[in-house]
This record gives sequence, structure tokens and C-alpha cells, in this order.
Amino acid sequence: MIIGLSVYMAVILFVGLSAYKAIQYSRMPLHGRMELYPVPQEKGRHTYGGSYMEEPEWWKKPRQVSKLSEIADMLKEMLFIKKLFDNQRSLWWVSYSFHLGLYLLMAWTIFIIVGALTELAGVSVSATASLWTALLYYLTILTGVIGFIIATVGVFLLLIRRCTDPVLSKYTTPQEYFNLLLLLSALISGVAVWMPDLTFSAARQLTAGLLALSIQADMIQVVHLILLDVTLIYIPLSKMGHYVGKYFTFHKILWENEPNLAGSSMESKVKAALHGQTKTTWAASHVEPPSVPEA
Amino acid sequence: MLSLHQYQKLRAKGEDEVKSNDLRPRDLGKPCDQLIQLNDLMPLSSPYDEPGMEPDFPEVKPEWKEKYCTSLDGCVGLDTLQRPQSEAEEQEFVQKFLSGLEKVFSDANSGVLQPLEMAFEYCAKCNTCSDACHIYKASGDNELYRPIFRADAFRKIYNNYFSSGGKLKRKFIGADMEVNWETVARLGELSYRCNLCRRCAQTCPLGLDNSLFAKEIRKIFSQEMGIAPTPLHNKGTELQLKTGSSTGIGKAAFLDMVEFLEEDIEDRIGRKIKIPVDKQGADILLIHNAGEFVAWPENPAAFAILFDEAGVDWTLSSEMMGYDSVNYGIWYDDFQAKKIVKEQMEAAKSLGVNRIVIGECGHAHKAAGIVADRMLSWEDKIPVESFLPIMWDLVRSQRLKFDPSKNDFPVTLHDPCNMVRQMGIVQPQRDILKVIAPQFREMTPHGVDNYCCGGGSGFAIMNSHNFGVFRDKVSARMKFDQILRAFPESIADSSKPKYVCAPCSNCKGSIREILKYYKTTGKFNVHYGGIVELMVNALVSIDVPYLEFLE
Repeated sequence: MIIGLSVYMAVILFVGLSAYKAIQYSRMPLHGRMELYPVPQEKGRHTYGGSYMEEPEWWKKPRQVSKLSEIADMLKEMLFIKKLFDNQRSLWWVSYSFHLGLYLLMAWTIFIIVGALTELAGVSVSATASLWTALLYYLTILTGVIGFIIATVGVFLLLIRRCTDPVLSKYTTPQEYFNLLLLLSALISGVAVWMPDLTFSAARQLTAGLLALSIQADMIQVVHLILLDVTLIYIPLSKMGHYVGKYFTFHKILWENEPNLAGSSMESKVKAALHGQTKTTWAASHVEPPSVPEA
Repeated sequence: MLSLHQYQKLRAKGEDEVKSNDLRPRDLGKPCDQLIQLNDLMPLSSPYDEPGMEPDFPEVKPEWKEKYCTSLDGCVGLDTLQRPQSEAEEQEFVQKFLSGLEKVFSDANSGVLQPLEMAFEYCAKCNTCSDACHIYKASGDNELYRPIFRADAFRKIYNNYFSSGGKLKRKFIGADMEVNWETVARLGELSYRCNLCRRCAQTCPLGLDNSLFAKEIRKIFSQEMGIAPTPLHNKGTELQLKTGSSTGIGKAAFLDMVEFLEEDIEDRIGRKIKIPVDKQGADILLIHNAGEFVAWPENPAAFAILFDEAGVDWTLSSEMMGYDSVNYGIWYDDFQAKKIVKEQMEAAKSLGVNRIVIGECGHAHKAAGIVADRMLSWEDKIPVESFLPIMWDLVRSQRLKFDPSKNDFPVTLHDPCNMVRQMGIVQPQRDILKVIAPQFREMTPHGVDNYCCGGGSGFAIMNSHNFGVFRDKVSARMKFDQILRAFPESIADSSKPKYVCAPCSNCKGSIREILKYYKTTGKFNVHYGGIVELMVNALVSIDVPYLEFLE
């Protein structure tokens, strides 16, 4: 029972802490413009890195914005890690193996939950019962087997590379090794628990128990679930939570080129920022005192 | 932490520099005469691949070692940073730095908090940025200039002094850097070994910007410790705020220069032009980098010729702060940057113009067009645009007529980082060159992927001690190599003139210095200049060459 509750708690904390981080970042003060071109939403110009500032009197003309190319570039980054593919191919193979493995394992988790609900409804998930159960049965196997293999191999190779590459090892902190080891242990324990039964019926049974709040797990399953819990709670607290930060670095910093024009929403943000009160000041003699004296 | 006395004793032992491969951020505090030697620079392309084509680094003068921080790489960029005379001075210096470091993540720095926090927290140390950095590559992959080296030193020091938790936690997160005078001074110098070109940020898979750390260290030194390179601060922003221009040119001298330009135009092309100054209600206020009037008067003269011929309604300003577009503050000090932005806008508003057009100066484009955008509210601003879209408009609409055969020599284009990578003004200059220069060819890489000229973020004007040599040999090396590679068929043919078009004052300054340093103009007939000079040279209406090297 406790182990079952711990899984629910871990999932809630994973989502909650990730959301909390996102809210914290979104509430940070307005920063100066720091866009870098190409900016994908620059319609018709993003292919070569152009912007609206290539037009004379650009502020008098309607901005040509393409949300579609912004989404396309976002998906290229999310699904393929394009920047790494373009700029450091040897690391991309390893990193992408791990990330693609994670995506597949997320899909596998969904198939397992759906499978468990199907079984709780009294329908057995098998290759022969119906088209639906056959689809679920094979998709679970496909995503689970490939996901576990490439994610584990990927994170293992990331760790090896970090240990053996003299440049990477020089800059790697104990915490960064710990991050990889934690991921690796969660994945290896998952492999140890689930791989003896490649149909993943044991995983469905355990999940059904979890959903029905009557979980029955053996020792190795308990170890795996504890490692999974710790990993899920730890990820948003560490730099592995970069899925949150990456949204801001691209959409709110590198791709954010909204000008401060009369009547625009940016104008109100700038005005609010300009009227903001600063308590801390710098000490050099040429620096003006803060807008509000220290309390 | 070593005391000054201990440090001097260890330094006197004359320990060797650290081998590049072994160098780690914590070595910034290592007692040695000079942390690295710049011996294995990136080889240059033909014809500079032969021995003897490049001067060696001059010896570091003993008196500089005594007075400044030469212990990083032997070069002096921070000429106002001097060695302490007592342990009390040393302590005060270190404390001031730590106080500034703490403020970096406070409300005193709100304009950069979000991007900085991202870069601070999320760097995966994947090292993708290293190959993007022209200084790191030009140095022969010297560890000291690896973009994550500086960032990691910053991170380790901050975490060591300001992160919560005990010793064990600090060890766990890599917070293992104590600082002494030497560490802080070297870090200060190291912040001036980055051109802030942001090419590294363009390649980061997480979208992080390592140049922020260089900029933030510069800000701590200036805004907290009152230490900044003389050409940027005392003879830069301070002089500009006092006289109206970082050149020191006052109103009377500026008006004399305008008169000189008019005479020069008449002498050169036989045309009498009245350059409009302080014309109330003009459509355009054109603001040049005032350095152009002093170093390259043919550039503002070319603008005057082109605007006059096309019938543009424009003016220059002779008001205090109205005739110099530079804003060195954006390289090292937010407060100086903001003061200059405000005063420049006030000068423009007093003329009642519709728009400000920035001439050939990349950082002025960014300062007025991008940085100022969120420093002032709309009613305190006048819209700012680059000169390039207007020029292309005049070419496209045939308000200016060209005979491209007048420019029938190899021309390549340098992309100023501020205009191109950081503003997305990429195509107009190419469209113009395609019309006026039949032998135009791109550099490799180009556009938003270009390499910095090596003069970015102040390096072009920092010539004190031996810093100019660092620029010419290291930070501008990649650009020099690109220039050589842009003319494969003609670089060795000294009878053929070749032109590097660099539409930015600082870039021109940097390219002028490398062509001089490597004697490339004399030996191989390579010249440089802006784009407007090339336009005037091809005007149908002018029957004498405008470019001096064609005379």
C-alpha cells in the first residue's frame, strides 16, 4: 500500500514541481531583448535568419509572423534535438538514443495504464482477443522493449563518455555523475523487473493493482518503484528538469523579438518594469542610487 | 585563500604555466607568472601558411607584470586594474568582487535575471559551444578560452560563497573555488577575452548563452568595483556623457567637420552638397559613429552623396549626444548604457524627426534598436532603423543609378554580429552588393553564422599595452583567415585589388588593424571599407573613382 501511495506521490510531485518551476520562471522580471537569429516565427525570412527590421519603417507595417514555423522548429528541437544534431553529431547519437528511449517509455507507460484499465474492465490484453487488445499488446511490447534498450544504452554511453572524455570529465561535478547514475539505476532496475516477461503482463498487473489501490509487489519491483519515485521527484529539482528551462530559453529569450510599440502588450510590460522598485544598488560611484531607498 | 605575501612568495618561485589540456577553472588562483602561453595558434591559410609571415608575440614587459594582471595570458585588457600594495587592499578588492557577484542575482540586475539564471542552472557541459567560438579555435583550442571555462569558474565561485548547505553539499555541486586577488583579477581579464558575439549561444542545444558570464563579470567590475578598460569607460562612455561624443568632439568641432566633409566631397567628385544639420522636422535623423568623421570621413561623405542624389529628407544633429551613435555601455555597464540611450533619444526628439537611422556601426544598431527598446517607454523614443533597408530601397526603386563595372574587382562581405546575428538584418546588404559589385562573393561561414571581426565588445578600440596584439593575433585571427579564403583565385596576386566590405565602424577598425598587422594591404592589395563607399564608387553620375585605391 505504501509503495503504491509513493508512486502517486512521486507523479504528483513530478508534475507539481515542474509546474512550480515553470511558474517561477514565467514570473521573473522582463529582461532586455536577447533574440538570436534565425527566429523561426519571422515569416518568409526565418530560412536565412532575417527579421522585420530588414524593412524601412518596420514599425508602420504589420508584422508577418508564422506560428507554424515556430511550432515546426520547436518540434525539431523537442523530437530530434536538432541543435545537437547540427553541431555535435557524435554526442547526438548517444543523447538522442537516451531521449528517444524516454519518449518511448512515456508511450509505454500510457499503454501499460490503458492495458491495466482494460484488464480491470475484465478484458484480457492479448494478441488474439480483439483488434484493440492486439494493438495494445504489440504497441506495449514495441515501445517497452525498444524504449528500455535505447534509453539504458543511451544513458550508459552518456556516463561512459562523461567519464572518459577528458574535457567533459574536467567540468563534470559529482552531482552530474549522480544524475546519470540515478537514471541508469532506475532504468536497469526496470530492465531487471520487466524484461523476463517481454509481454509486460506483469507490468499491467502491477499497474492494475496500483490503480485499484491494492498493489502487490515483490522485492525487486519495490526496489524499482522506489528508484523510479526518487528519480521522478529529483528530476524537476535538478538540471535534468531542463525540459522546463528549454521552453523559456527558446520561446522567451532567443526567439522573443517583440518590439515595444505604442499600444502593444510589450509597451505595458516595459512601462511596468520601468516603474518597478529596486532595493539593491551597485556600489561604483558613477552608478545612480536605487529608485527606492532600502527599507 | 592565499595571502598576498604567500602568493608573492610562490609567484617568485617562478612556477611554470599550466599545460592547456590540464588547465581547470580553479587554476585561476594558481600562483604562477603566466597561466598559459599562446604558442600554438590556429594555422592561417595561404599565403600566411609560410614561416615568417606572422610576427611573434612581444615579450611582456616586467613593469607591466608588476603593475597589472598579466598572469592570465600575458595580455592587459583591464588597464585600470592594478596590483594591490597591501593585504588590506587585496581583501577589499576580493570583498568588493564577492559583493558584486551576489548582486548579479538580485533585483539590481533584473534586466538579465531570467537568461542568466537559465545559463547558470541548466548548462549540461556538453561542450557544443567550444567549436563555435572563434577565440577558442584561433587560440589553437586553448582551454582558457573554452566558453564553458569562464562560465564554470563563475558558477563554482558563486556556489561556493552563496549557495545554501554545508561543505558536503557544496562539494557535491562542484562549488569548490575559493578566490584570492589573482583569481578575481584573472577572471576580470578573462571577461575581456570574449567578443560577446553570441555565436556560442546559437549552437547550444539548451539555448543557453555563455557570453552572459563574460558580460556579467565585466558589469561586476564596472558597476561594483569601478574598474573598466580606459577606452570603454573614462575615454568612452564618460567622455561621451561629458562632451557628447566618445571621440571628445564637441559641437563646434563637429560643425567644422561637416564643413570639411562638404569641401572634401567637392574636391573628390566636383559636387557641391549642403549637408543638412539640425533641420527641424526632417524625416530622418542620421546618426553616425563619430569615429567615422575622424578615421573614415569618406563614409559619412558617401551617405551625404547618396541621400542628396536620391532626394532623401534627412539631417544630422549637432546637439549634445545627437551626433555620435556609439554606446560602449552595452559592453560592460548597464547604467552607462542607459544614460547614453536616454540622452541620445532626447537629442533626437528635440529635432522632431520621424525616425532615427543608424549609419554603419553595428553595436550602435543594437544599442539604439534592441537594447534601448526596453529601456524607454514608447513616448520617450523615436523609432530606430538601420541604414541598410533604406539603402536597398533606394537601389531597388532606382532612385540611385549604378554602373557595376566600376566595381569590377573581388568584393567580400563581413557580417557585423550585432546587425546580423542579433538583429536579423541579413539580406538588404547582399541585395545591394549583387547590384553594384559583379565579383561579390560570400565568406565562409556567413550571414547569421558569421564569425566576429575580433573587435567586438570593445576590442577594436582597446589598444593599451599589448591588448592590440591579442586582438590581431587571436580574436581577429578567424576573420583574417576568412578574408584570405574569400579570395582563393586572387589573394596572392598583388596586382588585383580586393575589397572587404565591412558596414560597421568597429569591424572596420578591427579589419584595418589586421590588414596592417599582417601587412596584407601592402603585400596582397587587400583593402577594406564600408558599403556606402562602394555604392558611391559605382554611381553613374560620378565619373571619378571614389575609392582611393582605384585612383
